[in-house]
Amino acid sequence: MEISSTITETEPQKFALPVDSEHKATEFHLFSAAAPHMRAFHLSWISFFSCFVSTFAAPPLLPIIRDNLNLTATDIGNAGVASVSGAVFARIAMGTACDLFGPRLASASLILLTAPAVYFTSIASSPISFLLVRFFTGFSLATFVSAQFWMSSMFSGPVVGTANGVAAGWGNLGGGATQLIMPLVFSLIRDIGAVKFTAWRIAFFIPALFQTLSAFAILIFGQDLPDGNYQRLQNSGTKQKDKFSRVFYHGITNYRGWILALTYGYCFGVELTVDNIIAEYFYDRFNLKLHTAGIIAASFGLANLVSRPAGGVLSDMMAKRFGMRGRLWALWAVQTLGGVFCIILGQVGSLTASIVVMIVFSVFVQAACGLTFGVVPFVSRRSLGVISGMTGGGGNVGAVLTQLIFFKGSKYSKETGITLMGIMIVCCTLPIFLIYFPQWGGMFCGPSLEKIATEEDYYLSEWSSKEQGKGLHQASLKFADNSRSERGRRVHSQTLSSNATPSANV
Amino acid sequence: AGEDKITVRWGLNQSLPAGTDSAYKTIKVQLCYAPISQVDRAWRKTEDHLSKDKTCQFKIVKRPYTTGNQTLEWTIERDVPTATYFIRAYALDANDHEVAYGQNTDVKKTTNLFEIQAISGRHVSLDIASVCFSVFSIVSLMGFFFVEKRKGRKAQQ
Repeated sequence: MEISSTITETEPQKFALPVDSEHKATEFHLFSAAAPHMRAFHLSWISFFSCFVSTFAAPPLLPIIRDNLNLTATDIGNAGVASVSGAVFARIAMGTACDLFGPRLASASLILLTAPAVYFTSIASSPISFLLVRFFTGFSLATFVSAQFWMSSMFSGPVVGTANGVAAGWGNLGGGATQLIMPLVFSLIRDIGAVKFTAWRIAFFIPALFQTLSAFAILIFGQDLPDGNYQRLQNSGTKQKDKFSRVFYHGITNYRGWILALTYGYCFGVELTVDNIIAEYFYDRFNLKLHTAGIIAASFGLANLVSRPAGGVLSDMMAKRFGMRGRLWALWAVQTLGGVFCIILGQVGSLTASIVVMIVFSVFVQAACGLTFGVVPFVSRRSLGVISGMTGGGGNVGAVLTQLIFFKGSKYSKETGITLMGIMIVCCTLPIFLIYFPQWGGMFCGPSLEKIATEEDYYLSEWSSKEQGKGLHQASLKFADNSRSERGRRVHSQTLSSNATPSANV
Repeated sequence: AGEDKITVRWGLNQSLPAGTDSAYKTIKVQLCYAPISQVDRAWRKTEDHLSKDKTCQFKIVKRPYTTGNQTLEWTIERDVPTATYFIRAYALDANDHEVAYGQNTDVKKTTNLFEIQAISGRHVSLDIASVCFSVFSIVSLMGFFFVEKRKGRKAQQ
């Protein structure tokens, strides 16, 4: 039984990056692939990128596929909804799986189990088979949750927003990259000599193989935690195996998880909806060539290269000065502005103005996604996976709902739908006002002045006294200590000396 | 598609006054979607403005206009989708503008339509490859699990 003697040591020789007491990295070095932290980062974003490429590989090739499979507009719309609805429950399940089995096995399993759906897309022969392959391929978007969980396990508070933001942003990039990659691969194969209706089928092997190989890379090169994999740590007794029912219970009873699920539906959900409708919008409204409309659509997704990471960085910067309250304010402000620009997008009538507004809108909406996952790692320690899964799943619910309400059939013109979507974003972002952490405060209230409001109290409330008696809460204790940085600059320096006995902070 | 042939015959309607065809320079014969194949498919929509019209998406032939009747035997290309079709011929003037047309169906596009069956695009080799790679993915996952379990048990011993 290993006794944790590393609480006060930082052991700089053991890790390439500086770490905290949980061995989570306190710095983020983008151009390093050092094990285990940065390696986990690169494995994470690349595998998530491959899943996005696979899930949205069909839309750019639809002009060919719809003729080959004799699809109607309704078939295409239904397949689009199916592609994002599978992930709703898959994300929640993935969150739980991460809590119980670790992100490495959970994500690699999902990726390898959904790869067949991508391979089978090559042999789809009817609207129904097309819908089914898009539905099952969409499950792979649950790797988002494992990526965020993994980053939250490898990186400490001061950089967790950045790590989460870059990993998710560069993964989401897949949705934009695929709009450029798939037509290119298709043309190459067709130029080699295949017929159109065969060339697109062969083209799907590329994302499928990419997905398979990225899963292998995770299994071979990745590890769950800075100290090793769940199984080995559980066997040696360093990490306790947790109970599904308790993990799940503490996740779903935390109201903050539900609020973030709703608000994430109106940044990420909106992003997915726009991925599905924006090419058609530009094509129809401004009579562009499909190719041109596709490039504009791709640029929406490609903005993720910088905008989502920027959100994460902003979250960390705000936390440094203003703590968790700063993170919440930044999230509310950026997402609301995203909604405002969405309203404007539906109103502008010229092509240039539309492109400019769309780009500004994309920056704010994607940054809001990054900011959301600057808050999520702190909502729960024991049920981090479930909370991540709920929030991620909520994102997909938002996508399904928004597409069904505003973009199905001909009830609203696309521009009206976009404006109404913007109004809904602003309204559904308001609940952030209600998020309150006793130890750090909320948007309008400061931290609780009662004696019980410390980080330890908050995170240990997830463990019963019996469980604490067995020492199961040790990791949460360390996390509570490390999360004190969420108090912000002024208060943090005052409490540095008195973290053992909570004193009333006036 | 890819195998069968269509024989198309066209010519100027002899009941029209002579000289009607003085502006015709080129004939463009096209394969066009019948209304039933346009339902719920906005990418095949008929628009009055010809530059936006998407009814006829396949060119059968384009050749200089000559008086008298013309015939052509056309092998249906392999990228023609499964749908119901009719054939339309446009007469173009020297500036490539459509000045007249004729079609093998009535004005409402209900008579004399024909169906074309597309190729599936699938090949046995593709089917086999898909299945093999899928099975490989699942089996390799199980393989990894097996190796992990064995490593875990060895470490415990």
